[in-house]
Amino acid sequence: MNKILADKDLTRRIEEISDQKLSDCYQCGRCTAGCPFAEFMDVPPNQVIRFMQLGLKEDLLKTQGPWFCAACLVCQARCPRGVDIPRLMEAVRTIHLRAKEGLIDVPEIDKEFLLDAPPLALISAFSKFTY
Amino acid sequence: MKLQYYPGCTLYTKAKPLNTSLHACFNAVGIELAELPHWYCCGTTFTLARDNRMSLIAPLRILAKAQQEDGKVLVPCSICYNTLKRANYMLNEDRETLDILNEHLEESYDGNEIVLHPLEFFRDNEELVRSKVKKSLKDLKVGCYYGCLLLRPQQEIQFDDPEAPTIFENFISSVGATPIDFPLKVECCGSYLVVTSPDAALESSYKLLRNAQGNGVNAVVTSCPLCYYNLDALQEKMTKAHPDFKQIPVFYFSQILALALGAEEKNLGLEQNKVSPYTILKEYDLL
Repeated sequence: MNKILADKDLTRRIEEISDQKLSDCYQCGRCTAGCPFAEFMDVPPNQVIRFMQLGLKEDLLKTQGPWFCAACLVCQARCPRGVDIPRLMEAVRTIHLRAKEGLIDVPEIDKEFLLDAPPLALISAFSKFTY
Repeated sequence: MKLQYYPGCTLYTKAKPLNTSLHACFNAVGIELAELPHWYCCGTTFTLARDNRMSLIAPLRILAKAQQEDGKVLVPCSICYNTLKRANYMLNEDRETLDILNEHLEESYDGNEIVLHPLEFFRDNEELVRSKVKKSLKDLKVGCYYGCLLLRPQQEIQFDDPEAPTIFENFISSVGATPIDFPLKVECCGSYLVVTSPDAALESSYKLLRNAQGNGVNAVVTSCPLCYYNLDALQEKMTKAHPDFKQIPVFYFSQILALALGAEEKNLGLEQNKVSPYTILKEYDLL
């Protein structure tokens, strides 16, 4: 039942970190339609935003969707309402990361890949998945 | 003439071919690239959290240092270019943050350094480049892959149209090759997801290579060392996952230009390409 009790504090934090207004999104779904990674997400971008709008804390913090966002900004370029969706995805990750959740586990990275990958791939992942 | 440039971490390691071929290109048109002294990492990836000021420090210090040398800095790596340009835009828009950062740093920055990509330089000096072309790359059907970082966000990057860019195609035409349009040229290769979600990066890179091939492309050209890795090095895995996939050579734009300008083969760095570029280059009589 606590699902329907909106978490206004969380909504406010998301808006603060992302510098976006959640009420700007009218749920047209264009972000999801063009997202190259939507197929890998358990919850697609527009629905993640819906969770934010409704303050559904549990659902929002459970979804893996934002972790598949590569900040490619295709959605940002196409949003008819000018919402910078990748900033919203970053806000969710930021909340997790600052609580020390979802941090990149370096020893888990394949050794062969570590030697082969270009430094900017690793540095990008480290800067995106740490706090 | 000298042009200041910021190489960034990857041009000295995994993207050496981009570095050596770019130097060869600029040498051929009579311009010396002067490396920014004592540079460090730009931090890669511009932070999207509005309250994260720490991530702006590295770009600010690089921009301040570059400004001491010259009002313009050439940045060949797409990630560095995007990060420095976005930081520049933000610091210009948000003077309060700029003041706070300046107050805490030895450097002082006013937000006016010009960040330039080699493709912008070649666009603005097209005649100079055209006059130095020694070898026509006629018939080489090139798919120009832009990726994300050169195009978005348009308001901040101001590079080209984010949905239908042409700067790369014009560049390819000016060296005599045939640019082939393909719809996924502006979509993401998977970027750093290759570290955390390799399957997602593999599939998106595969999709856009197939899209390029389906439109008749026989060589893909890019400017970003991360796109380059995903498109080139992952092809072996793509072949395993999709047995009907035919590998396709991937080049840095500077390798193609250096070829056209008649640079020595040792400066092209072709031996580092994972998918062999020799077959196609010999087929078109370019080596």
